[in-house]
Parts: sequence; C-alpha cells; structure tokens
Amino acid sequence: MADLLLTALGMGWPVLLFLVCLLGYFWFGIPEPEKKRRAVFKTFIGIIAAVMAFIAIANYKVNFFGESRLLPVSLVMITALAFMMGLYFSNVSALLKIGGFMFLVAAGLSGYGNWLPQVEGGFPPPEVKLQFDAMTKEQLADEGEKIIFGGIGQSKVQGAIGKGQCPLCHGFNEGFLSERAPNLFGIPERSKQRLEDPRYHKGKPGDRDTVEKESFAGAGTAQTVQEYISESHACPSCYVVEGFGLKGSNDKESQMPKIHKPPISLTLGELAAVDTWLYVREGKEPPSYDEIVKAYEKFIPEAERPKPQEDKPAGAGGALMADGSEPVAEIFAKAQCVTCHTIPGIPGAAGTIGPKLVEKTNAPARLRDPAYKGTAKSVREYITESVIAPSAFVVKGFPDNTMPKVFGQKLSAGALNKIVDYLSQLEEGKAPPKI
Amino acid sequence: MGRVSRINRKKVWSAVALVAIVGLLLLPVLVSLPALAGGGAPEAAAPPPDAAKPPDAAAGKDGAPKVEKARDVFYKTEGIVSGAPAPKTADNTQFYPRYNFESRVLLWFANQQHLYYGSFVLAVPIFCMIIEFMGIVSKDKAMAKKYDQLAYDFIKISLTAYSLTAILGGILIFTFLTLYPAFFGYLSSIFRPVMHIYALLFVAESGTIYIYYYGWDKMKEGLLKWIHVSMSVVLNVIGTTLMMLANSWIGFMMSPAGVDEQGRYLGNIWHAIHTALWNPLNVHRILGNMAFGGGVVAAYAAYRFLSAKTEEERAHYDWMGYIAMAIGVAFLIPLPFAGYWLMREVYAYRQQMGITLMGGLLAWLFIIQATMIGILFLSSNYYLWQALGRMRGAEKYQRYIKYLVFVLVVGFLIFITPHTIVMTPAELKAMGGQQHPVLGNYGVMSAKNGGINVIITTTVLSFIWYQRGNKIPTVSWAKFGNIFMGCFFGLAYANIVWLAIYGYYIPANVRVGLSVPQVATTLSCLFFMTALNLVMLKGAKESGPIEWGKISVRSQYALIMLATAFTWMMGLMGYIRSSVRLFWHVNEIMRDNSPWAYTHTTGFAANMISFNVLFFWVTILFVFWLGTLGAKKVPVEAKVAVPGRAPQPVGGH
Repeated sequence: MADLLLTALGMGWPVLLFLVCLLGYFWFGIPEPEKKRRAVFKTFIGIIAAVMAFIAIANYKVNFFGESRLLPVSLVMITALAFMMGLYFSNVSALLKIGGFMFLVAAGLSGYGNWLPQVEGGFPPPEVKLQFDAMTKEQLADEGEKIIFGGIGQSKVQGAIGKGQCPLCHGFNEGFLSERAPNLFGIPERSKQRLEDPRYHKGKPGDRDTVEKESFAGAGTAQTVQEYISESHACPSCYVVEGFGLKGSNDKESQMPKIHKPPISLTLGELAAVDTWLYVREGKEPPSYDEIVKAYEKFIPEAERPKPQEDKPAGAGGALMADGSEPVAEIFAKAQCVTCHTIPGIPGAAGTIGPKLVEKTNAPARLRDPAYKGTAKSVREYITESVIAPSAFVVKGFPDNTMPKVFGQKLSAGALNKIVDYLSQLEEGKAPPKI
Repeated sequence: MGRVSRINRKKVWSAVALVAIVGLLLLPVLVSLPALAGGGAPEAAAPPPDAAKPPDAAAGKDGAPKVEKARDVFYKTEGIVSGAPAPKTADNTQFYPRYNFESRVLLWFANQQHLYYGSFVLAVPIFCMIIEFMGIVSKDKAMAKKYDQLAYDFIKISLTAYSLTAILGGILIFTFLTLYPAFFGYLSSIFRPVMHIYALLFVAESGTIYIYYYGWDKMKEGLLKWIHVSMSVVLNVIGTTLMMLANSWIGFMMSPAGVDEQGRYLGNIWHAIHTALWNPLNVHRILGNMAFGGGVVAAYAAYRFLSAKTEEERAHYDWMGYIAMAIGVAFLIPLPFAGYWLMREVYAYRQQMGITLMGGLLAWLFIIQATMIGILFLSSNYYLWQALGRMRGAEKYQRYIKYLVFVLVVGFLIFITPHTIVMTPAELKAMGGQQHPVLGNYGVMSAKNGGINVIITTTVLSFIWYQRGNKIPTVSWAKFGNIFMGCFFGLAYANIVWLAIYGYYIPANVRVGLSVPQVATTLSCLFFMTALNLVMLKGAKESGPIEWGKISVRSQYALIMLATAFTWMMGLMGYIRSSVRLFWHVNEIMRDNSPWAYTHTTGFAANMISFNVLFFWVTILFVFWLGTLGAKKVPVEAKVAVPGRAPQPVGGH
C-alpha cells in the first residue's frame, strides 16, 4: 500500500501541487467568506479525488501486466470519486455520474473476466528438427505421442493436445465417446475391414462417390493397412467412415483437414511417428519408418510435402519449453512440473503423480540411500540429475519412467538453474522462499 | 398557376442538381469498378529482404516472363500467380519495429477505437433513414415534426463523431505501417484496388453526409423531402459498402481465399473479398452496429435527460432514449441468430477454429459473452418496467414484474452454466474431468438455449405489456384475443422448457437440433404476438397519456448500462474474432512471429476491453458535452417554444 501511495504521488505530484496552490490562492485571495468557503471546500474535494485517481492509475500501471486481480478496484475507486465530485460540481454532475457509473460497469465486467480461470494461449508450437529416420520404433512412438497429445504419457490425460490436434475430434481410448470423428482405438486392426468395405472401392477409385476420388490424379487406393492410414491422413475425403461426414454431405466429404497441409502441416517424418504410436500403444509391431514414408509418398505428391526445416523463420523460438528469462513459477508451469509434483510456493503445483519436491529435506536423505546409484554429490547436483535423468534414482512408491526424460533438451541452462535454485531451498515444514 | 409551375420547376432543378452532385461523388467509384471486376492487377508485394524470390518472376528461355499457375486455397480454382508469397517474418525490428511496449496492444487500442466510432457513424444514418421516413409517412403532423427533429438530432451527433472516425482511421493506418510493416505491406499488396475504392467511398460518404445534414432545412417539404430521405438511402448504401470492404480484409485474415498456399495472389480480387466468412461477418456487423448505435444514442439521451433543466427537455430526451433503446433492442434480438450463422460458417470452414472458439482456448470468453447477453436483456426489461411508471393505467402490470424477474433470473442462471470447461491439467485433475461434477450435468446446450429463449420471450412479454400500459383494447374480440395471447405465451414457455428438459434424455448430436423448435417458438411470440397486440390496440381507449419525462432517473442508468454493455460486448467479440487466428496474421498463410504471438489471459483481455470501452466513452461524453456548449450559444428567441411545436433542445437548425 505504501508503495502504491508513493507511485501515485510520484506520478501525480504536479497536479496535486497545483491543486494545493489553488487552495492557498482561494484561501487568501477571496475576500467574501461564503465564496471563499465554497471554493476552498470544492478544491479540497478535488484534491481528495485527485489522490484517489492517482492511486487508481498507479494500481493499474503497476499491475497491468501482472496477475493481480485487484485491477478492477481501480475502476471502483474512480467510480466513487466521480460520484463524489458529482455532488459538489453540480454543473457537470450528470456527466460525472454517468462516467462513474460506466466505470462501475466496466469494473464489474473486468472483475468477472479476472475472476474466471485464466487460460493463456502459448506461443506457436516450436518447430524442432528431429531425425525421424534415425529413431528407433520406441523413440518414433514417443514423438508420435508428443505430436498427438503434446507430451509423453499425455495420451491418458483428458484434454491433452499436441501439434497434430487429433484429440480435438478423435477419441483414442477404448470405449471413449468420439462424436466428431471415429475413435482411433484398434485402428490397425479395423483398417483391414475398412479396405474391404464396398464403399471404399479398393482398387477402383473412379467408382467412389466422395468429393475426392483420389488423393491426386493417379494415386489410386490403398492396398495395405498402412496405406489406408496414410490415405486417411492425406485425403480424408477419399473415404469417409459412415456417419462422420461433413454435415449435409451425406458422408461424401470429410470435415478433417488434410494433415500434411496447413494449419497442421505434419511432415512425412512426423506422420510416420504418429502412425508408429498408433501401433506401438496397442502392442502391435509397426511397419518400418521407410515403409510408412513410402505409403505416404503414394498419396502426397512431392510438391505438397511439408519441408521439415526450411520454412522455419529465424528467431521464432526454439524447441525450448523455457529459456530461463521467465520467473521460476512460470518455468515450472511451462515444463508442466506442476501437473505431477507438489511444489510449495508455486501456484497450482499440487500434483501427486510424482513426489513432493522439498529438496532441501529430501535430497540429503536420498543421497545417503543405499539404493542411490547416481553420481550427484550435493543437493544441487541431485536435483539437476533428477530433472535430466529421472531414472537415476526412483523414489519409493512412485513408478519409474513416468517422468519424461526430455528436460535436459527442453530447458535452457538458465531455466534449469532457476529450478535447481528454488527447489534446493525448499524444506519440509518451513515456508517456501519468496518468488 | 404560373407561380406553382415556377415552384415545380425549381424543385425539378433542385432534384437534377442533387442527382448530379451525388453522381459526381460516386463517379470515382464507378470508374474504379471495371478494375475491380477485372480482378485488378495488384503488383507483387515488394518481397522482404529474406523472402524467396517468387518463381513467377523467373524469365523463360526466350526472355518472356514465364506464367505460373497455382491453386486457390479456398476456391480450389487455378489462377495465374500475380503476387509474391506472404512474407516469412522473424522476431526482429525489421519485421516488427516496436516501442518499449506491446505493439499488439497499441494496435488493439487503435483498431478498437476506430471501430467504435466507425460503427457509430455507420449505424446512425440507418436510424435517421428509418426515423425520417416514419416522419414523412406519419399522418399526425406534430408527431411527424417530432420524428424529423429526432432524426436531425441523431445525424448531428454522428457528424461530430464523423471527423473523429477519420482521425482514428489515420492513426490506425499509421500504427499498422509503423508497427507491422511486413504484414500491412502484404495485405495492401492484395487489397490495393479495394483500399483505393474504400478511400474514394469515404470521400463520397463525407460529401453525401454533409449535403444531407446541411440541406435538411432547405429540403423539408414535398418532393425535396423525398429526395432528402432518398439521400439517406444513398448514404447508407455507401456506408454499408464501406463496412463490407473493410470486412473483406478481416475475412481474408481469418479465412483467406484468392491466394495459393504460399499466399501468392492469383489475380481474382473477388475471391480475396468473398471469403468463406465475409457474408456472415457482414450481416453480424450490420446488426451489431445498429444495436451499438442505438446504445450510444440512448446514452446520449440519458445524459441530456439527466442534465435537463426544463420539463420540455426532459420529455424530449425521455422519448429519444426510448426510441433509441427500442431500435437497439430490435437489432439485438436477431443478433444471436446472425452469430449462430457466423459460427456455423466458422465450423464449416475450419472445425478446429470453431472448437478453439466454443470449446477450446477462447471458450471462457463465450461464458462472458453469455453473461453479457443476459445483462443486456435484463437491462432492457428493467427499462421497460420503469417506463411503465410514466403511464397512468400501467399499474395493473407492475405487480407482475416480480414474477418476470424470477423467470429472467432463472433463465439467466441456466444460460450461463458452463458444460465442458477448458482447464489446465492441474485444474482438470482437481475437478476430476472436463465437466464439473455437479454443474457439468446441467449446462447442456438445449437447456442453455431454453434459458436464453425464455429470456427473449419474457422480453417480448415485457414489451407487449409496455405497449398496452395505458391502453385498453376496444375491439369486439378483445377478450378472446387476450385469452389467445395468454395461451400462446403459456404454451410457448411450456414448449421451450419441455424441450430444454427433454435434451437431457437424448444424445448430444440429436440434442443440438432442439434449438430449431426453441428458436421458432421464440420468434413466433416475437412476430405473431407483437402483431396481434398492435391489431388489438387499434382504436384502443387510453387510460391516460404517456407522461414523457416522468420516467425514473434509475431508468436512465439502465440505458447507460445497456450502452456500456453493448460497447463492452462489441470489444469482447472483436477480440475473440481476432484472437481465434492464434499465431497467424493471415490464417494458415502468414505466420505471426512477433513476440506477441500468444493469446492473452481472459483477465488481461477483460482489462484491455474495459480500458477501450472507457476511453471511448470518456471521449464521446466529451463530444456530447461539447455539443451542449454549442447549444448554449443559440439566441434566446430560437428557444421560445411555439405551441404544438416539437421541443428543440439541441439548438434547432
């Protein structure tokens, strides 16, 4: 409050000085007592109103970009001062009252907007150069899960979504309601039936009654399961599963975008990763990377294949979740630590999937634990190791391989340092450090 | 006889001169039309330093330029590539020059202020046209004069705002040019001919509005009055065209067409204008502008009412506020339906875009919108109930108001109950799913539609009571008519509520279809019952006059609430429409690589909208105040009331 007052005075002192001088002038300059009394009183009201106005502005200025939910208080103060002034300045009282009332309405609406849960859209998905062709099937499947759901292990999290945006319409788990597009559980098996569906017209694209008969002239129809999946991605309208067509199209046109085209624009490598995940998560043997890519090449002409890196504009962010310039709470949020861990002092960090991170207490005990096989010697080293190599020591009662092992690549050294700094100060039973 | 023919000749010449002036004003537009129809020939945008050279610039072996064809991203037609690809920007000051402040917020501010003023000055001439016409056809001379005075008052307010609109337009262009040069360069490379026509139309609009305003007294009788009112039609045609051209730019940004996948212009400007969302945007904006314009004029009337010194002034501005509110609400009622159409087209264009709006990142903003719609209807009803107070004989309805309040509040609470909620993973976990364990069961679409339809039907009922306030129907079938009307409303409520409940027992995709019979029920009440009421009130006995000016002061705050809420909602919906592009300047064509390519939190957006709303109102209240200063200079004799003459509080003309 004192800070706010100082900021307000710092901002409004010339106006206040002017009003005080005016007050002095009226006090000493007006001879008639009645006139003097009125003028002095009105100026005094003006000074109070000006102080309130500057406090309100200072509050707005200081908190405008912050997450303070007190901003609407400024507007209410302005309303109060407008009505107060309206009482004493009768010639413009209608204006002041209307203005004040409008401030009140705006304050209410702003307050409502701030009271609702705050959802912020992140930056555009980073375009990361990945060597899909050099990955193992498991790595490819992990990348596929990230593309679909935004992270490893996210396929079970309701609402998780990645660059591919698939879960916006498709269900992925057995028995899940999937109203907008078919549930993709069991797709490798079901594709065989689809290929035999008379509506698919295997080998006879010309017989199809859909808006697009082939992905491009001469592409033909799919012959294998993988080709069916590839064709569905490259040309969703070539065959539409019954009941899922664009409204009014009688299942002749799909509402799904071509996945290799904007806005999704998955590269062939990314598509291979997505498809690999579809097999691997059901415990099925996926086709090789080359086989998948070949299947896509059948349905996506050379000119339409998104280029992995050339399009990436310089300086458009990188693959990092956090670059270290953010406050520590934001780094925890961006790296999604808050989802699984309870971290005292960090807003929203109440997860129970992973252990509670009071590392000043925990780390020394863990380092002494006979089961500890890592290389860390100090608390800071232990925390760093746990972030970038979570399997080095798995806390009892928590399963291994739940925490992603990508934070070494996803966090800058600065960001990691901030995390370690903060966690190393957390002690069980004591108040967390100020952030 | 000779005198009459001389007058007639004068009139004919006046008409000819007027047509000639309007024709000259529109000539530049007509001249430009062939260029528009021919697809224009915008030159390729100067490629940014690091942009790839367009392939079509390559010369063939014989030195002749090689023609490259490409496919339109939306129309799928082939066209000759005649522009450079959309620039690929990067986060640096070359593409995004900046002050030490968020450029996007500056642009947001400049854009919103221009839009507020622009909407107002485009909406008011439509009111004037309607009201002036009502004055001409009115058989009651005193009433005709009153309408004419009102129309004149309206245009006078808009004229002051007109110059501010132009100034703000200039500020907006400078903001674009200085902060987003690459993006603006690209947009203007495609829309160059449209932008020129836009500028010329602005000149035509200015010329017409000045003739319309300053010619008011000279053209007040006979044929000239008809010419005057038809000028308002011309004015509105120009204004609406202006708005539609500006809409084509935002339509292009949301759902581009006329370019290929790289953003290269394909030579057909009509394709670039007539994008998937252009027409829904046009309709939505016209209706929105009208509702907003009504709100602003109502606030002006409320201001003049509250600061009125005489009974006569109070009576005039009470009436003005009522008319403005009625026009605003009349256009507010179809607005949700235009909104449905726009959303349907958004879903048809890109399903992801629709989901981002209604069930994704921006869904909370739609909860705010629902609240705002509720506030608007509650305020309108409150005003109408207060207005009953200035009629003798309306007491019989006032005792039922408490039941209407109950119905409205229940409808409102159901309407704002969310169903699927967008949350962070932590919030999801805490709540145990995307739907609230209790509320999630209730907030389904058919029930929410039921809520809003009950609200609208109740507003119609309030309006019918208002119309009947001081009248007693004298038609022979009055009793039967009343019973029929009561049954009709009763059945309408029953049908809407029953469908809302029935929605819980059927699957979601079937449930969506229930909105059609619900809306049809509401519209039936709106059209049939209002019409029936008017027929019943023909020759009705008055239980007392409407005592204009005797309305409560609180009612004027309801008008101000209405105006502020309209303005806020307009800011909110504009923000939603713009931010749905996420990190694209032009959806899927030109990526936003500025440091502000993320979407703000709901709270930040709400604060920003409030700031814009308050800035607009502070400036326009200042304009209103300036208007009253001008009125004070009018000579005393002009203010002398003539018996039977309409009051002239704005200083006469």
